[in-house]
Parts: sequence; structure tokens; C-alpha cells
Amino acid sequence: MLTSLPFLAPFFLALRNMRTRLGRTLLTVVGIVLGVAVVLAVQVTNQSTLDSIRRVFDRAAGQANLLIVPVNQGSDVLEEALLAQVERAEGVEVATPSVKVQTLLASEAESWQIAFTINGLASGNVLDLYGVDPVLDPEVRVYQLSMGRTPDPEAYEVLLSRKFAQERSLQIGNDLVVLTPDSQARLEIVGLLAEEGVGLLNDGVVAFAPLSVIQDLYGRGGELDEIALRIDPAISGDTRQIELLKESLAGRIGRRGQVIYPAARGQLVTQMLATYQQGLAFFSMIAIFVGAFLIYNTFSMTVVERTREIGMLRAIGMNRWHVLGMVLAEAGMLSVVGSILGLGTGLLLARSLTTLMGAVVTSSESVLSVPWQGLVQSVVVGIGVTLSAALLPAVQAARISPLEALRARGRSVQAVRPTIWVSGLALLFVGWAALYRLEWRPEINFQAGSASVLVILFGATLTVSLAVIGLERLTRPLAGALYGDEGQLGSANIRRSVGRTTLTVASLMVALTMIIGVGSLAYSFEQDMVTWVDTALGGDLYVRSPMTMRASFARQLENIPGVAVVTPVRYLTVRLTPGMSPAGEGEGDSLFFAAIDPWTFRQVGAIEFAAGSGDPEQNWARLARGDALFVSTVVADRYGLSQGDRISLLTRRGEHAFTVAGVMIDFTGQGYIVYSTYADLQRWFGEGGVDRFTVKIAPGYAVSSVAQEIETRYAARRHISVQTSEVFKTNILNLLGSSFRLFDVLNLIGVIIGALGVINTLVMNVVERQREIGGLRSLGMTRRQTTQMVLAESLAMGLIGGVYGLGFGYVVAKIMIYAMNELNGYDLQFIFTPGPYLLGVLIALGISQLAALYPARRAAAVNIIEAIKHE
Amino acid sequence: MIVLETQKLTKQYQMGTVIVTALDGIDFSVQRGEFIAIMGPSGSGKSTLLHLLGGLDKPTSGEVILAGQPLSQLGDDEITRFRRRKVGLIFQFYNLLPTLTTAENVALPLLIDGQPLGRHRQHLANLLTLVNLSDRADHRPDQLSGGQQQRVAIARAFVNDPEIVLADEPTGNLDSRSGAAILELLRRACRDLGATIVMVTHDPRAASYADRVVFLQDGQIVHRLENNGEGVSVNKIVEVMATLEL
Repeated sequence: MLTSLPFLAPFFLALRNMRTRLGRTLLTVVGIVLGVAVVLAVQVTNQSTLDSIRRVFDRAAGQANLLIVPVNQGSDVLEEALLAQVERAEGVEVATPSVKVQTLLASEAESWQIAFTINGLASGNVLDLYGVDPVLDPEVRVYQLSMGRTPDPEAYEVLLSRKFAQERSLQIGNDLVVLTPDSQARLEIVGLLAEEGVGLLNDGVVAFAPLSVIQDLYGRGGELDEIALRIDPAISGDTRQIELLKESLAGRIGRRGQVIYPAARGQLVTQMLATYQQGLAFFSMIAIFVGAFLIYNTFSMTVVERTREIGMLRAIGMNRWHVLGMVLAEAGMLSVVGSILGLGTGLLLARSLTTLMGAVVTSSESVLSVPWQGLVQSVVVGIGVTLSAALLPAVQAARISPLEALRARGRSVQAVRPTIWVSGLALLFVGWAALYRLEWRPEINFQAGSASVLVILFGATLTVSLAVIGLERLTRPLAGALYGDEGQLGSANIRRSVGRTTLTVASLMVALTMIIGVGSLAYSFEQDMVTWVDTALGGDLYVRSPMTMRASFARQLENIPGVAVVTPVRYLTVRLTPGMSPAGEGEGDSLFFAAIDPWTFRQVGAIEFAAGSGDPEQNWARLARGDALFVSTVVADRYGLSQGDRISLLTRRGEHAFTVAGVMIDFTGQGYIVYSTYADLQRWFGEGGVDRFTVKIAPGYAVSSVAQEIETRYAARRHISVQTSEVFKTNILNLLGSSFRLFDVLNLIGVIIGALGVINTLVMNVVERQREIGGLRSLGMTRRQTTQMVLAESLAMGLIGGVYGLGFGYVVAKIMIYAMNELNGYDLQFIFTPGPYLLGVLIALGISQLAALYPARRAAAVNIIEAIKHE
Repeated sequence: MIVLETQKLTKQYQMGTVIVTALDGIDFSVQRGEFIAIMGPSGSGKSTLLHLLGGLDKPTSGEVILAGQPLSQLGDDEITRFRRRKVGLIFQFYNLLPTLTTAENVALPLLIDGQPLGRHRQHLANLLTLVNLSDRADHRPDQLSGGQQQRVAIARAFVNDPEIVLADEPTGNLDSRSGAAILELLRRACRDLGATIVMVTHDPRAASYADRVVFLQDGQIVHRLENNGEGVSVNKIVEVMATLEL
């Protein structure tokens, strides 16, 4: 029904237009939905992943307001005597101690699995066994018993998660038989934990026994891993008071531990995921960019299609502002609907992406965290991008002269002005200069880099108009070869609406560019990883155990026939002194600290030093002298370190500055790693032990038979697991593959949007040329020939999009690698591989032909009489 | 009483390096309630004249005075508003909005003008009755014949009670029977509503419905035929046209 409210007139007309041109409306909505969905999904995925990691640590912390942990978690311990000191502190209501050991069920000791993870949140079937105060701990952490009771203090009793018990067919009253350093221990199961609170830790592979029992069984007498503090409710709501208490406790315990907020846990994991999440954020921008093309394309086509109609409206008295308002009203309404639908789709997409991400971070958490800022931002982006994309077509519509209504033919798309491609070239230059010639502040480096890539892609888009004419000459013979004379006719058609062709080609190009960019990046990563595994890790076999192994075990391994060299490595998590962290980034970063034996290490593997790291022999000699580290390129970049600089770590003996003996390429922990010697490990951290032995096999021996022999001799006795470097390499590449799968999903969305663009353009071309097609049909062109003509037109666009995509894919792949190196300190080398390019070409041609099927059918179905009668 | 007047109206176009004169100093006036047909061979300037009379285009020199208002004094927005309220337009290809119903298409100028439709309900109903489409009020253009669509366009042209209605080949796309009905309708509108109509046509039969026929050639008025009380004779028109097209 017509409205009598004048300001609603543009909305009314827009609404009617959308309803009548439902196909076009839906296409635009799909573009908006996909764009908004990707933006939201990436935010939700990132937030959910971080939250799932945080939840793991929160469960461990429970309602604790503060935690006291060793200075270097994972390597240091707390003295038990500290507990009494902390308990007495004013403001502390409850202080509950705990130790955590990792062990195996005796029944599973021979089949323990190494789960390769980025963050190590879950590791195969390794059981996290906590020693806690059964009375005090429930005051701080959530213990939801589904059956039974809590263990008695001092009794050899244990609480298990119900899930773990069910999977192992264990019941209350049964004994839980676990491995201890000496042999085995029996703990009576007295209660089962529901899947809540602490019952969810380590994916439910968790058990709780009295503190003294675990200390006794695992030789941890007098040691604690953590003291969780619940603060007096009178001050627990006041962050300033809590901060004061934290400072006072820190002063009281000195270097014997550190006081942290529970939220600070999992910092290393968060650090490691940052790069990945930046990558996802970048891709969501690309999806919006491609979506904007589709929206722009749709609206400009709507304007072209409605030129006469708008001309008539102008003739009968609609002014330019009314016309502008009408087009923007349509865009506004579509953007609201598209954004709302996009939110729903985004959440569905986030569910899939979170599952994929879960494979990367080894989390089975399935709770989506939907940040309200994310919802608002997605809607704002959806509406903003739609209105911006529709603005130019709206302005063009407003410029339509009323005389258009009196002309016999609708206005066709005008030839592209040289200013457009000149601007494109200028933008290419600006993007290049911003990337390679300008220095950005570190905190805006990522945003500036992403914006530069977008500027380059936009510049490339504008230059397409220049290339269409030239490239069409090349596509025509191919179209002719495939589809005959009508193929040549079809190919030539793309020159008629250069603007429209440009946008379609551009959206294809961007999709391909991303596929090629990501494919090349993944390949380069893969090759570097393989090189790293082959050189840095070296060796043929890896011997590992869920519990720290003794260094002397190396002698026994060396005695096995076929074993040439054995080298140990021990990993700790250490903290940098707070002053080392980049400004505004927390209380001090964590790093992996790998201790090696340089002498045997070099017989098994090698360290690849970054360019400019001097003579390797001198580097090794400097490391061996002590008080020195090899730092990864990531660490060097993050903290601005070069060879000879000092890096300060919190050791058991306090802060200590180590000399950087060399900068190396290493991907452990996403590059957050430093290498040191066993001597320094012992001296500064009071640690020995081995997490992994790398074994080199002597010539003439089969790797598998030596592995078999090691397992036969020691698997049962020492609970070790032997893995060949080939299997390890496969695992690591699989993990890498999982990491890139998310990008594949986002690329796929880009491809879908590109395909929609092709459909849109071709349908529009067919609609606009009804009369011409009718004329051709009346002259004797068959339906088949008409179909071929449209398919050839699409093929030409696909080919040009393909050529552009290949070219810019190559450029963007190089930029991505450059950006990864610049932003994260990696030292990746660009390695050309034809795979992604081939895939890109196939996708371009495939899309062009599949997307053209409907428009081609529509063209073939044109009624000759109607078409030639059509004005 | 003069409703429309042109003074030395000239329109030139630049075609590459050549300047083409489409209208060459036309002086011409229309009395209220008159039905005028403009005829001439292709390229004579009749469509250009219509565009200038309706304020759709600007003259190179000269003036169009419509309802006492010299159009050259109006800016783009003012002329759009002026056209909205004072001029009705009928196109050869009807130019209805395919998304609106018959009634809505007729009411479109009111909608654009921001007028409360409730106040015009009776007027809209009368117009639909005048064009004999009351029973098609809720149909969309694609559900109407060409003649019916043109009748909708005529009703739309009259909805704002314009000072003048300009029709560009209103029967050019219709069969003879529908064309005759449209012309009859226009004549009735002139008579019953007191409307003033200027119609461009190349069809002598259509022109014969007018009170006066003005012939253009090479941008100038070269002949006039007046109604002698029994309409303008088709034969006379054909004769004149034959001399012009020689």
C-alpha cells in the first residue's frame, strides 16, 4: 500500500524494487551475509579459542583471586614453607596448595601416545594427577561430585572425572593404578567428578589425590607447584586493593615465587596464537573487500537496468536527492537484513571454524564466545560497506538525466576513463611504498600491512580496465577454439561493458590471489618446516616419556646395536624480565628454553642460523662457553635482539642476562624459543633430566628395527615411546595442514562471492542484450550457439581473472611471506610451487563456466518475438 | 490565456567538430485548454522542442515561459519541482514502474511530491474512471495491455492537475484501435478537465485529433493548420507532410 509519508517514499519505492527484482535482491543479500558472516566468524573463532584456553586455566584457578606460582613455571617449584607465610598475610582468606604430576595408568603404560600440539593442553592419554588439600581446595575450585566423596587427607584415595572413569570402566571402590618414578601406586577411587569445574581439566583426563600422598609417591616432598589464594570478600571486589595485596605478597615471597592473576596463565599459548589470529582477521577483511565488489556490482547493474525508470522518475519530478535516497534506502534495508542474517550465518560458520581451530590448539571446547563488540562491529561493517559500495551507483543514478526516459534504449555502461587505471597504478605504487619503504610503529604494523595489501589489491582492480581490451585479444582465439565463431563473438562482448567486466574480473582475481597467496605461503612454511625437522631436530628416532628421563639413559641407548649417536634435550618454560617485553604487553613474556648438549647435538642435527649471524663455529663456541643463548628469529625480532646483545631471563637465581650467541631459525612454540646448554640449565635453573632423546642410526641399520629394539628393551620398564622422524614430520605437516584449513574455508567463501559476481554480471549482460540476442536468434543463431556465446563471454572473464589472479597471487604470496617475516620475525623463504597456480587457473575457469550456465540458459530461452519487440 | 510561450528558442548540439542546430529561434505559444500537435520529419526538432517545453533540457538561447515562469531562471531542483507540479508527461513507451500497481503508478507524482494520498483518494478514483481502469487498479504493468498501460500513463500525467501535458508519440507503440482510444481520451481530457496538451507525433491520424497542428522542419516552424471546427483534416496534414518530406 502506498504511504502518504513523503520521507518514506524512497523506502517504499526501494522496497517494491527489491520485491520485484527478487533474484538481484537475494544476490546482494548473499554478498552482505557472507561478508558479515566471515567478519563475525573470525572474531568469534578467535575469541572462543582464546576463551577456551583461558577456561582451562580458569578451571585450574577456580575462584582464586591470585595465584602464587614458581618464577619459571614448568621448571621451578615453590617451597612448601611458603604456604604458612602466605596464609598469615592480611587479606588472604584461603590459601590452598597443590602439586601436579603427569603420569599414566599402569595398564596404558605401553601404549601411551604422543599428541603433537601447539599448546600442549592435552597430550594423548597422559593423566594429570593433582595433589591437593581435599578440605581446602573445594573452597577455591569447583568440585562437582557426581558420585562418592572427596578423599580423606593423608589417605591413598583419589577423585576421578566421571568421563575418564567411564572410558576406562573404573568404578568407585576400584583402585587407580598409576606409574610412579619408582614403580606403580594404587589409589582407591572414592568419588567421581561431574563434567564441570575441575572435572573438565585436561579434557577430563584428570585425578585428584591428597597433597601429601602425591608428594610422597612422586618424590615431591616439601615442594608445591601452586598456591591458590582466595581473598577476603571485603577487598575482593576492589581491584586497587587486590593490586596492593598482590604487591605486598610479592614483596613477602621475594624470588621464591611470583604472584599472578589467574588470567595471566596461558600467556605463552596466547602469544603463540596471535600471529594466526592476525592472519584470520586479515582474511576476513579480504572477504569483506570481495563482498563489497559484489554489492557495488549489483547496485551499479541495478542502476543501469533502471536507467529509463529513473529517468522517468526524474522527468515526472523526482529530484536528484530523492533518487540518491531511493538507491541508498534500498542499500540500507538490504544491509540491515543482510547483516542480521550474516550474524546467524557467522555463528554457524564460527562453529565450524572453531572446530577446525580446535584441531590446531587441541581443545575439545565447543562453547562459542560471542563478543558483543564483535556483533556490533560486524553489523556496522555490513551496513557501512553496503552503503559505501552502493554510494557510487547511487550518485550515478542521481545524475541520470530525465531525458533518459524519452530515449529508445537504456544507457549502456560507459567506457572506463583513463583516470581509473592511472589511479590504479598510483595505488599499486602507494601500497608497495607503504609495505617496503615506510617504517610503521610496531603496534600498528599489522594494520598498516593489511591496509597496504588491500590498497594493492584495489589498485590492481582499477588497472583491470586497462588490461581487459588487450587481454581480450588473447582470450578470443581460445574462446573461438572452444566455442567456434559464437565463442569469438562472446569473448568480444566483454569489451562492451568494461566497467562491469572489470569488477567481475577483479572479484575473481582477488579470490584467486588469496588462494595462490595462501597456497604458496603454506608450501613455503611446509618446506621450511621440513628443512627445520631435517636439520635442527635431525636424527632418525625420537625417544620420549611422559615423565622426565634421566640423562644417564643415553648411555643405555647408545649400547643398542645400530645407535650411532644420542643427544638429549630438555624444555622449560621461562619468563623474560618484565622490562624486556614490548611496551604495554603484560608483565613479561614466556619462552621455551631448550637445553641441549652442543657436542652430541651437532652430530645429530644442525642449527640453521639466520642471515648475518656470522661464523657458525664461533656461535657454537660462544654458546658452549656458557651464559649464552641462541634465540629464534621470532624472539630476536620481538625484542629487537641481534648477535652479541643481552636477553634477560628470570632464573631460579634471579634475573640474569644471557648473551645472544646467534639468531637461528626454529619453529618450536611458534618460534618463541631459545637454545642453551645443559651446563647453563643446571647452573641457572637447577635442572637436569631429558624430555626427548634424538637418536641417529648408524649406517647399515634399519630405523624401524632399531626403534623396535629400543621399545622391546625399555618401553615397559621406562614408559618410553619411540617415534621415527618420518612419523614426526608427518604429524607436524598434518598440524600445519590443519592450521591452513581455516584459511581454505575463508578462501572458499571468497570463491563463492566471486562466482556470484560472475552470475550477476552475465545475467545483467543477457538482460541488457535481450533485443540483440533476439535479433541474433532471428538471424538463425541456435539456442546452442547462444549458450556457447554466453559461456565464451564468461570464459574470457575467467581467463583474464585467472591471468590477473596468477600475477597478483605471485606478488601477494611474496608480500605475505615478507609480512610474516616482518611481523613475526620468521625467516621464511619464498619457494615457488606450481600447485596453487594450477589450482587457481582451474578454479577461475571452473567458476566461469559453472556460473555462466544459468545466464546462458536464460539467453538461449529468449523469446525471439518478445525480444525484438522489446524496446 | 497563454499557458506556454517560447521566445526565439534555439538549441544547438556539438557533434564532434560540427555544431548541429536542432531548433532555430522558435516563437510559439499555447492557449489554456488547447490541444496542439507538433509534426515534422525525422530530425526536424520536434522531440527537442518537447524536451525544452517540459524543462527536461536547457536551450542554447531563447526562453520557455510556462505558467508565467521563465524556465531559464530556475535551478535544477527548482525546475524539477516545477515540472513535478506544473507539467504532465506521457511517453511513447509508457514508462510505468513495473514494481507498482496501476493505482500506485497513477499516484506516483503525488508520492514524490510528498502529498498526503488520503486527500487525493477521490481524485485518484476519478482519474481511474476517466481512463476506464477502475477494475485494473491493483494490476501491475505486466498484467496490462499496451493501450491500458498508456491509459495509466495518461492518468499519471493528469494527477497533479498540471498546467500542461506533454505527450511524446503517445500512440507510437500501439495498434490503431488502442491509439484511437488514447487520442479520444486525450481530447476528452482537454474538454472535460480543461487540460492543455502538446503532443509530438508523426502520425497524421493522431494529429488530426488536435486543435492545431504545428509543422517543424530543420528546427523552424514552417506551417500551421488550425481546427476549422470539425477537427484538422487528415488529408491536409498528409499533404503538408508530403511537402516537408520531399
